[in-house]
Amino acid sequence: MCVLSIAELLWVEKYRPRTLDDIVNQKEVVERLKVFVRERSMPHLLFAGPPGTGKTTAAHALAHDLYGENYRQYMLELNASDERGINVIREKVKEFARSRAPEGVPFKVILLDESDNMTGDAQHALRRLMELYTASTRFILVANYPSKIIDPIQSRCAFFRFTPLSRDDVVGRLRYIAEREGVDYDDEALDTIYEISEGDMRRAINVLQAASAMGKVTIETVYKVVGMARPREVREMLKQALSGDFTGARNHMRKLMLEYGLSGEDIVRQVHREIFSQEVNIPEELRVMIADYLGEIHFRLIEGSDDDIQLSALLAWLALMGKRLK
Amino acid sequence: MDKKIPWIVKYRPRRVEEVVDQDDAKRSLREWLGQWARGRVPERRAALLYGPPGVGKTSLVEALAREFDFEVLELNASDYRRKTDIERTVGVAAGKRPLFKKGLLILMDEVDGIDPRFDEGGVEALLEVVKSTSNPLVFTANDPWREQIRPLRELCLMVEFKELSEGAIVSLLQRICEGERLQCDKEALKLIAERSMGDARAAVNDLQAVAEGYGRVTVDVVRALIRGRDKSLNIWRTLNSIVYAKQAWMAKKAVTQSEVDYETLITWLSDNIPKKYTEPEDLYRAYEALSRATLQIARSKTSGEWSLLPYVFDLIGPGITFARTSGSISKEKYGFPEKVRLAIQLKTTREIREKLAEQLARNTLTSKSTVKNEIIPYLTIIFRNTSNPIIAARIAIGYRLDKETIKFLAGPNTENVLKTIEKIRKAKPEEVKEEKPETKKQSKTTKEERTAKNNKAKSTGSLDEFLKRS
Repeated sequence: MCVLSIAELLWVEKYRPRTLDDIVNQKEVVERLKVFVRERSMPHLLFAGPPGTGKTTAAHALAHDLYGENYRQYMLELNASDERGINVIREKVKEFARSRAPEGVPFKVILLDESDNMTGDAQHALRRLMELYTASTRFILVANYPSKIIDPIQSRCAFFRFTPLSRDDVVGRLRYIAEREGVDYDDEALDTIYEISEGDMRRAINVLQAASAMGKVTIETVYKVVGMARPREVREMLKQALSGDFTGARNHMRKLMLEYGLSGEDIVRQVHREIFSQEVNIPEELRVMIADYLGEIHFRLIEGSDDDIQLSALLAWLALMGKRLK
Repeated sequence: MDKKIPWIVKYRPRRVEEVVDQDDAKRSLREWLGQWARGRVPERRAALLYGPPGVGKTSLVEALAREFDFEVLELNASDYRRKTDIERTVGVAAGKRPLFKKGLLILMDEVDGIDPRFDEGGVEALLEVVKSTSNPLVFTANDPWREQIRPLRELCLMVEFKELSEGAIVSLLQRICEGERLQCDKEALKLIAERSMGDARAAVNDLQAVAEGYGRVTVDVVRALIRGRDKSLNIWRTLNSIVYAKQAWMAKKAVTQSEVDYETLITWLSDNIPKKYTEPEDLYRAYEALSRATLQIARSKTSGEWSLLPYVFDLIGPGITFARTSGSISKEKYGFPEKVRLAIQLKTTREIREKLAEQLARNTLTSKSTVKNEIIPYLTIIFRNTSNPIIAARIAIGYRLDKETIKFLAGPNTENVLKTIEKIRKAKPEEVKEEKPETKKQSKTTKEERTAKNNKAKSTGSLDEFLKRS
């Protein structure tokens, strides 16, 4: 079957389950959520689990089943990594709580995604908000690392653990999409996508879509696409720094920040991936030393210090290590 | 010479007469506090002392309190600015009885530092205290005309402090020289006074810096060491003073006397250090110092502990100077920060990317950061694939991407994608139009509706057919 529409969407959007019934895995979670829909009542919820396992999708599906097609007007969607601080969140929640609740369901839903990115202080403020608006709203907090959520919030929420997706789950879904889209593919290529994406469905589907645009989806095209998606500048930056060219390395770093829009933490994570790659030719003991200093820089970034300065410090250190190697 | 006590503390006026100038302020404040001392509550229960820094606001309050035998409870407004803090501290103090003395005076510094955005309810809480306090309440401010403290102005006795005259500062400096048994050249003291711009605190600090550094206070030493305070060192001279400083305090002074604030200075240092330092060791140490400086700034911001800031100055001044141990200083000229130039140049790209990230974040139910890291890179691959522009064109139609955004994603492949979009539109204009409801409605259209539309489009035949027909 190869019938296509003119307009195409990202497959992560196009093939997202819309209702709780559409969700094929996370069975235990889904069953418990369906009870909330039947009873038209629920506590605050905390969804925790690795990226790409369906947490946000489940929250939307739940709201869809509660409120119907136009569920988004009864749901406030916030993303802690995009909102600038608890004050913005507080204002939005206040405003939203004022609007009326739909008929038949006595509460509206506030979805706070990536809530483990909030500082402890912000979480305490959030806890007060949850208490304040508990009569008219329910919070669904989504997090990768539940241990980063403060206890007083955890104790106010029903906890849902999303398990990593199995190989069968991911490969099965990829095959389903590939068939629907008329994509030409090798079976092993889908396995490779699963390996690379480490159970993250979002990443797996993105890789599939990009690889299919190159032609037949094979192991080669999969690796090619994954390699291309990682900015070349990261490796170039590393190479130049280690060769002692600080200024050249820093130009690459700024390109990553300003042209690709990556944050300091994004770049640190990508460097971390690169330094253990066999394609980067450095002594094994240096890989560990770099990781060690990288961790320190990462910590300073988390503490809120300046991205450009921290990465410059990293590059200056790499340049020094490079010189000592010579 | 006892170096441990800053002279500014050691020579703080003890009696009202020792406070230089400010006769009007002395008179009105003495009268006001006198009423409290006689057990009468004045009409205005709080006083707001305002004027430039270092002109004796706090000193006068302390000297007057001593005269009337009042205890002073000092609170720094920057520590207690939120509603709850104020109620807990000032509010409680306002109703207390003094322990040992006749009365209790509450002194709150830097009240103009209250920020209505972060210190919600702070001013309102202060107003409540002002209306009901049973103890005299004194605020100080450099800039009393800031909008957020307007209601406070209306309730307070306003006491103005003027910039100090040069003569007044010179005689203060002379008194200190005598106390320290220092040989002081009167012309040198005049020079210090002139450059302090009416700030006695600054003048005393300068005097101490010169005296401790050189043991004598003469015109040439002062001229060499003390550039005027505030806006005196432009950025170029600041950089140069830091790079070439001979002693740590010189580098530190360059930082504190620079006309640019420390965050700007860090940006400039970060871009100019590699021009001057050539040895990797030196470079690494310099950046490590900058790195720790920004860490320290972040900590002081999140904790509100501004007392951490002096360490920042140490790191970006002497920390940079003495990062250089082995290498020489290059002759290369200082330049404008590349980072700033690049950021301006790439502003449009950044805006396009942010807009796209926002749109896709909503559509794919994730954060902008995830879109930038995990979705835009794959979209870029699809859009830059020269052999198959149809998929890119269809996605562009699906998300109604404008030309600029397509260019951002497709780069050198832009023309190819745009042409393909045209071709598709010509082939099946009605479907494309149907995909494009009025923008207002569009935001409310749910995915289900859109999927439904997609399905409808599906039934009309395959894309390959359209293209073949065209």
